[in-house]
Amino acid sequence: MIIDVIIALGKIAVVLLVGLGLGAYLTWVERKVAGHIQARMGPSVVGPFGLFQPIADGVKLLTKESIIPRGADVPVYYLALILALVPSLLIFSVIPFGPSFTIFGKEIKPIISDVNIGLLIVFAMGSIAVYGTIFAGWASNSKYAFIGSLRKAAVIVSYEVVLGFAVLGVILIAGSLSTVEIVNSQIEKGIWYIVYQPVAFILYLFCMLAESGRVPFDIQEAEAELVTGYNVEYGGMRFGLFPLAEWYLNVVGLSAIAVVLFFGGWSGPNIFGPLSPYIWFLVKTFALVFFTLWLHWTLPRFQAKDITDIAWKILLPIALLNVVVTAFVVYLFS
Amino acid sequence: MPWISKEREERIKNRYKDVNVTRYEHAVSFEVNIDIFKDFLKYLRDEEGFKHFVDLTCIDFPEREERFQGVYILYNPDHNERVIVKTWANNGRLPTVTDLWPGAKWGEREAYDMFGVEFEGHENLRRMFLWEGYPHFPLRKDFPLEGYKEEELPSLTEVLAGREDPPSHDFELVHTKIATLEDIERTERARLKKKAQLVLNWGPLHPGTHGTIWFLFDLEGEEVVQCDVILGQLHRGMEKIAEHLHYFQFLPYTDRMDYISAICNELSYVQAVEKLLEIEVPEKARYIRTMFAELQRINSHLLWLGTGALDLGALTVFLYAFREREKIMDIIEGNAGYRLTTAFLRIGGVHYDLAEGTLDVVKAFVKDFYGRLKEYHSLLTRNRIWLRRTKDKGIITKEDVHAYGLSGPVARGSGVPYDIRKLEPYAAYDEVDFDIPVGEVGDVYDRYLVRMEEMVQSLRIIEQCVEKLEKLPKSAPYINKKHPAVMAPKQDVFNDLEDMVKNFRIVVHGEEAPPGEVFSSAENPRGELGFFIHSKGDSRPYRLRIRSGALYNLSIFPKLIQGGSIADAIALLGSLDPVVGETDR
Repeated sequence: MIIDVIIALGKIAVVLLVGLGLGAYLTWVERKVAGHIQARMGPSVVGPFGLFQPIADGVKLLTKESIIPRGADVPVYYLALILALVPSLLIFSVIPFGPSFTIFGKEIKPIISDVNIGLLIVFAMGSIAVYGTIFAGWASNSKYAFIGSLRKAAVIVSYEVVLGFAVLGVILIAGSLSTVEIVNSQIEKGIWYIVYQPVAFILYLFCMLAESGRVPFDIQEAEAELVTGYNVEYGGMRFGLFPLAEWYLNVVGLSAIAVVLFFGGWSGPNIFGPLSPYIWFLVKTFALVFFTLWLHWTLPRFQAKDITDIAWKILLPIALLNVVVTAFVVYLFS
Repeated sequence: MPWISKEREERIKNRYKDVNVTRYEHAVSFEVNIDIFKDFLKYLRDEEGFKHFVDLTCIDFPEREERFQGVYILYNPDHNERVIVKTWANNGRLPTVTDLWPGAKWGEREAYDMFGVEFEGHENLRRMFLWEGYPHFPLRKDFPLEGYKEEELPSLTEVLAGREDPPSHDFELVHTKIATLEDIERTERARLKKKAQLVLNWGPLHPGTHGTIWFLFDLEGEEVVQCDVILGQLHRGMEKIAEHLHYFQFLPYTDRMDYISAICNELSYVQAVEKLLEIEVPEKARYIRTMFAELQRINSHLLWLGTGALDLGALTVFLYAFREREKIMDIIEGNAGYRLTTAFLRIGGVHYDLAEGTLDVVKAFVKDFYGRLKEYHSLLTRNRIWLRRTKDKGIITKEDVHAYGLSGPVARGSGVPYDIRKLEPYAAYDEVDFDIPVGEVGDVYDRYLVRMEEMVQSLRIIEQCVEKLEKLPKSAPYINKKHPAVMAPKQDVFNDLEDMVKNFRIVVHGEEAPPGEVFSSAENPRGELGFFIHSKGDSRPYRLRIRSGALYNLSIFPKLIQGGSIADAIALLGSLDPVVGETDR
């Protein structure tokens, strides 16, 4: 029993450290990628290849003066931070990084909690995260922040619905909500579900961009219109937390879920030895993350009403159709 | 610009008997009595086709009883004729012309701000650049150049911190009164009566406003119900400064108006002065001017493209545009010595001969730039999101182009081929071959396409200029130093006694201009930049009015944005492309 707790704590520690470390280093990756896309160098001064840049940024953010605006609702102001960061971290609790293995006669699954409603947790966390944005906008007592948070709320409400219906197809085929089971069923069938569900994957990509507030759906930030929108009144590390949670942890978390749902999770030819599944998982995840970054630095931004228009009028009907067709096919062939 | 024809003049004189016509070579003005003034303007607009509003200003003559003279510049787009109408104010009052040309709204505000002339019937006559409660009218002749000395005034931060002791600055040196927080609040309230849910202050310091423009949006949700713009954050009183400088001394100030396209500003100013002083410009100088003006136009359009795309979220285009812009900056720096505020042109020519190798660099740039333009097109032109953000947004009709006095790519985007380079060719524009792209719908997307195509046309012009300049001998003169009002180049001054004496005389006494009037304008990247000079025969202009294209283009913004959202505002503002240095002067 004690051992179980220790193992669980160990897994949490590893995921948390890796997650936050990744978040920090993704800023470096993003800046490098953006730099090369934009015909410039990206960070290159601090350390070799600018590798210490995230540390310098962290130190800067931590030591900066942080001002709470006059008239702010202070408890809610802080609650927003927690509500932004915690859900995006909790997504990682249901991500399976590899197959279970045995060490000293003890079976260990490289997932924090293999619950049979794993995907529901992901959606729930996505929905809770929007409170972080809304609270941040409300508590800041600023018009810009308020408008930004309202935009975000409108986007999340519409895309949560689409997201739910988009992955329903995969769930129908796999017959489970557990992330581990979904991967296992793909390995058993020897096929990735993107082959069965290409439409769902595209819908998922849209939703992923919308949920994580990446271009072309970054209307809640929209530097040129709303300065940075909902987090404009936050300073120092409090400000840093929002992009960390939204732009990096959320993107990585949702990309990992996409890999689980559509790209067979950790499956892949065993060419790296015992670490092969983990490497495959990370490679697939980061390929998706890179794709997101690539879009971010290429496309212009949609308008708020266009985004919700697309969600309700185009994506949702497609998703519904996809679910119905999948259900039929699954019913006929099983 | 061809001015009003004799024939039309006769017709008008037959109809209105007591109209005085003054004909200078570059300005023809009708002086009418204030009683028939509105009637006369209406006649000119409806019957004679002078429907395009160019500019409105005042001149102060303290020795006259009426004191203020209103000056209205109109344009007939069908016959390509221009005319100036003047009238004397009645007890410091003039009738408003906003019912005839809505674009006069801001011009009248400015005249009120600067002269205290009241325009009867104006819907909301407020100060344009200065704040509500500022007691003086700066362009009046009795306003001293150094300003009125003020009581010591603490800075805003000091007021906020509650400091009562004498502030740290030496306020003996601060002559001009600074607006207090109450003044600013009063200004804001005077502009906009709140009708909807919330008033959003957009600016003065906001990344989307391209400078220090202060927008007030009255929002219902995200929909803009009404809007007004508060300008003046960058107001430096250029017109007042010009009245106290010799003609050549004012040249560097023009750089600081539309600082993105300094050489075009200089070209416009230098031309006006050359027309006043009757200076011929050598061929080489004309071609150098044309080439650099077009390089500057590409430079300016690249900045517009970059920031416009940045505003709509396409972050990468910004840096691609700046990569090319840097090359133009290098070419300009290599010739003028400065990158931004170049002061490259001189009255009568250009400051330096072409630097060695310039033409090769320009050729290489032109060759490369065609491909770069394709790159921009592939990023944006067919992009669905870009289309969605720009198509059918902020449509300007042809009527509005004339009524608001719009010019430059904004006018051409609506299908009005109003391009001074063709209508009144200056520099070498009549000797080179180029087309004027026009839009069809007049939306943000059309203005985008027009500007993109203008860059191609600029490249064509540059190619022709390079060709011509390569043929011209190295020894060809680049400045007309024979004219008594033109300063000789520096190397001549150090080697030649006569040139030195002449320069000395000009620097000390200035150029002697004949009395008269000139209105001359040039096609800037941001529209028609005109200079109206009223000379009384001194080395300084009695009144120098700067007709800013960016200001008039911006003046239609509050109308266009009604019913749009904040996201539209940013796309729209990007397509109007104002530069605050020019709108505020």
